[in-house]
Amino acid sequence: MKSEKNKATPSLSGDATSNLLQGIGVSPGIVIGRVVVIKRHTCRAGRYHLPPDYIPKEVARFHQAVTQAENELVKLRENFADDLADALSIIDSHILMLKDRMIYDQTIRFIKSENVNAEWALAQSLNHIKNRFDKIADPYIKERYTDIKHVADRVFSILFGHEPSQLVKENEPVIVVANDFSPEDTMQLHTENLLGFLSEKGGVTSHTAIVARSLNIPAVIGLTHITGSIATGDTIILDGGLGQVIMKPDPEQVQVYKQKALQSGALADELAPYVHLASETFDGYSVRLSANIEMIEELQTVHRFGSEGIGLFRSEFDFFNQQRQPGEDALLVTYRQLLETMSPHPVTVRTLDVGGDKFLDHLPDHFSQLDPERNPALGLRSIRFSLHEVELFTMQLRALLKASVYGRLRILLPLVSSLPELHQAKAILRKVSSALEKEGVAYGTGIELGVMVEVPSAVILADVFSKEVDFLAIGTNDLIQYSLAIDRSNQHVAHMYDPFHPAVLRMIKQTVDAGHAQGISVSVCGEMAGDVLCAIVLLGLGVDELSMRPAVIPHIKRLLRHFHYEQLQQLGEDVLRCVDGEQTKNFVKAYLSNHYPYQCNCY
Amino acid sequence: MSPVTGSYIIGNAKGVHGRVATKLAEIALEFEADVLLLHNGSQVNCDSILDVLSMALVHGSEVQVILSGQQAQPALVKIGAVLTAENDP
Repeated sequence: MKSEKNKATPSLSGDATSNLLQGIGVSPGIVIGRVVVIKRHTCRAGRYHLPPDYIPKEVARFHQAVTQAENELVKLRENFADDLADALSIIDSHILMLKDRMIYDQTIRFIKSENVNAEWALAQSLNHIKNRFDKIADPYIKERYTDIKHVADRVFSILFGHEPSQLVKENEPVIVVANDFSPEDTMQLHTENLLGFLSEKGGVTSHTAIVARSLNIPAVIGLTHITGSIATGDTIILDGGLGQVIMKPDPEQVQVYKQKALQSGALADELAPYVHLASETFDGYSVRLSANIEMIEELQTVHRFGSEGIGLFRSEFDFFNQQRQPGEDALLVTYRQLLETMSPHPVTVRTLDVGGDKFLDHLPDHFSQLDPERNPALGLRSIRFSLHEVELFTMQLRALLKASVYGRLRILLPLVSSLPELHQAKAILRKVSSALEKEGVAYGTGIELGVMVEVPSAVILADVFSKEVDFLAIGTNDLIQYSLAIDRSNQHVAHMYDPFHPAVLRMIKQTVDAGHAQGISVSVCGEMAGDVLCAIVLLGLGVDELSMRPAVIPHIKRLLRHFHYEQLQQLGEDVLRCVDGEQTKNFVKAYLSNHYPYQCNCY
Repeated sequence: MSPVTGSYIIGNAKGVHGRVATKLAEIALEFEADVLLLHNGSQVNCDSILDVLSMALVHGSEVQVILSGQQAQPALVKIGAVLTAENDP
């Protein structure tokens, strides 16, 4: 019922497309084109014994290969302006690695002492380095072995006499697909005919994502096995904003996306001025517009679209990104960066929000065993799971509190459905803070605690919760599903999922009023917040903050700035008088077409 | 000339990762000084980015620096600043 990886936010009418694949969008933009699949032949270095008089030549050959590799990197570096500091510093470190004694001197030593070929000697050096890096516990530093591998691969490929440079030899612009790209690949591809790129790998510490964004190339990562299911010459549509790929699209789909690409290009120009304007109504009534994200990598995007904070950080990624459970320190690194980067704006971190069975499946050596659930949407999930796995919850809270000195932290508890649950969570939070005090560890004084309102019981008890927390956040995706009893992934009932259902709108109103009666703020962080038709209704109902995909923030800001506060209030009242969803939707549509000059059917 | 030494706590939240190690190696190569890093009983020469990375210096760990050579003193100042900096160089 609840979709975990809900980066995909198709239109609220939600018809599924069978040839659509969902990955992680790391650099926005829509492109349509033929693909070139890059399959790297892993060079298997054989061991050849060389006669002693041949050794100086072999050393010279290796030296030459390293020099050529260095020249390639230096040349690549020259092609780029200094404003790509992130990408350039990666190349700098790769040049240093290339000449590092653990690679360069060590390989020459192997050639001389073992009388072997350069390829074999280099492979041995690489093995030594790998053994040392395997012992490193810190995941971020350990991951740097990937860089060393990329550097060595460049030398290998020169030694083997492979064509250097030019990964793509096409004349027309293409979308490049590979298992993984080195940062240099990404930069080098930019100088060629490149529309976009698509990779199987890439994650939190992926340089590729960073480089792609700084070069403004649409990119989707994390589509496992894609190189196996697609061939050079196939046409695909790639949407780097939504993280979607449409394989072999039919002419109709191509038409639709061409239109979308055109629109989004034109819209981007039209909306650019709004990024730096205040988010307030025409008459100066402020509403906070913030971003929903799940990866640190998205922070750049958040800034680019003028977000005033993170309204929802989905904290699951750190837990699913690797095979083992992350430690407190690893979480702290993420949270600290998040808070520091966004400061002085607030960052709302939702504590672990997953179904227990799914989570433990991922960690086979975990201590507790749970039976597969018959009805996971109603099972041990979200806050219930955290209260069941107190150690895990404690660890996350410790990392959050420690990070709180670096910015403005708001902790959000998901799926709270009763007061005792909230009390239990608060008791654990108190324990964590007093433990930190005893250890002499500092934490922020202004940490806010909130509950997510996403089940009907939370709406009904919103007045009770409001006396105990600092803010309420309405999760409309789940609130709609739980209250209308609709599973959106079930094609027979999905059409009944209706954000305009009067019951839904009344529940939102009730929650807003309950929060305001206690003087606390109420936000919405479901898909509704980023949809023009729905957002204007939410504004009318008095919501204080809307949190959405970063890319749609300028759209909503334009909407907000167009209206007077009183107009919105009036609309809210009118909408609440409607008694069926269809009627409400038509009413809002008509209202917008009379009062709002911009197109709003682009979602 | 007798060596100069210093002791520092790693300030970067992600520890001594690629960018930090790159800067350290660049300083060691730029100055006329031998720069050794000591941590947890192991010792590496700072001019090797791979050696420095493989020390896996995480946030908050303590590292000793020993420098010798003509420019030991000015190099120490720079190395110390990079090690303790909270932000990436």
